[in-house]
Amino acid sequence: MLSYEPGDSVAHHLDPRSKLLVQGGFAAVAFVYTTPRGLAALTAVAFGLLAVARTAPHRVLWEFRFVFPFLFAAPLLGGFAWGAWFVPEDAIPSALAGYRALLVFLVAAAYVRTTPVRDSRAAIQWAVPGRPGQFLGMGVAFVFRFLPVLRADIGRIRDGYRARLGTERSVPERMGLLVVAAFNRAFDRADRFSLALRARCFSWNPTLPEVGFSPLDVPAVLVGTAFLAIAGYGAIWAP
Amino acid sequence: MSNSTAAEVDLVGDETTLNIARAALFAALMGAFAYVAFPYPLSPAPVTLQVLGVFLAGLFLGPLWGAAAMVLYLLAGALGAPVFSNGGAGLGVLLGPTGGYLFSYPLAALAVGAVAHGGLELRSLAEASVARLVGGMVLGVAVIYGIGVPFLWWNLEMTLRTAVVTGAVVFVPAEAAKMTAAIGIVRSDAIRAA
Repeated sequence: MLSYEPGDSVAHHLDPRSKLLVQGGFAAVAFVYTTPRGLAALTAVAFGLLAVARTAPHRVLWEFRFVFPFLFAAPLLGGFAWGAWFVPEDAIPSALAGYRALLVFLVAAAYVRTTPVRDSRAAIQWAVPGRPGQFLGMGVAFVFRFLPVLRADIGRIRDGYRARLGTERSVPERMGLLVVAAFNRAFDRADRFSLALRARCFSWNPTLPEVGFSPLDVPAVLVGTAFLAIAGYGAIWAP
Repeated sequence: MSNSTAAEVDLVGDETTLNIARAALFAALMGAFAYVAFPYPLSPAPVTLQVLGVFLAGLFLGPLWGAAAMVLYLLAGALGAPVFSNGGAGLGVLLGPTGGYLFSYPLAALAVGAVAHGGLELRSLAEASVARLVGGMVLGVAVIYGIGVPFLWWNLEMTLRTAVVTGAVVFVPAEAAKMTAAIGIVRSDAIRAA
């Protein structure tokens, strides 16, 4: 599972906002230049960005495996034609688009691996001011905190369930039973959690984590801006 | 303690606190559901409980907080929580082929909740007729596929026919099963917090 890992790579030291800018800019360029030459150049860039984040590409590809059936099926079905069995020209756009999705995923994985959740929270609250930003920031932090807890809950429910031969039941019944048990536990936890929050003076204006640009961010911001400029140029004038 | 400003503490109201906690826990539960896959013979993509989660967000949290929970789910996933199917995370999943389905969740939860509760207020589900519940969920499914399939079509540049077959038609029986499950859950009063 791909998640944040502490480390000392250049990407670990960057401000989350400049990393989001690079990521967004890369995706924009990939969507504008979905051509063989464009994607070949972007492949080199993506591997460069992974190197800056010291993230091994094969690990990321393994995380991406569940999307491969979609990527392979799309060009195969796209090239299939009545009469003529297979028209390669029709399959090419789908194949290029699938490869583009893979590249965007690689770069996003570098962000995920090098950015702790508190940095992301600070970036959200910087980007969305006021109460909506506070809600999003604290909500995201709570989701990160409770995800492993609820996964463990579901694991325990399923264990108990297998032990009682619950797997012999029909799929809708199994879904229903699992969901009810999982919901009741999650809602109980939410009630206790809200009580605990109120007891600790849960407020709209807690002390914000600090975000600040360092000299390292200058090249990152330049790269991100360059990506957006290239994408904008390509979208308006080139292909 | 470097920060010692004397700004007044602006406490979050009791009811809002409960709603925030529930929305966040619900978003985390959606993420936990992503790991629970039931094998499905008609598609390489397994059927997960996530669409059922979207239905129940609209039904039990109401249209507004249900949609808010879905927004938290997407944002947490975009920022790296492994909450998408099979533990996926990051902006790449949202911009990938199945991103349209994910983007539709907040709107779908809003639609399910608004129809089932007859407005933006949260009402008791015991008063809602089965027709209303089913209507809400059918609208929710329409929203999910109405956004998800064009996104898949555009994203993979396939033909529209291929996109509709691989992205929607094969899943119809599974969605029907989830609606049945959702009605059963609401009617059985098994969920205490409603």
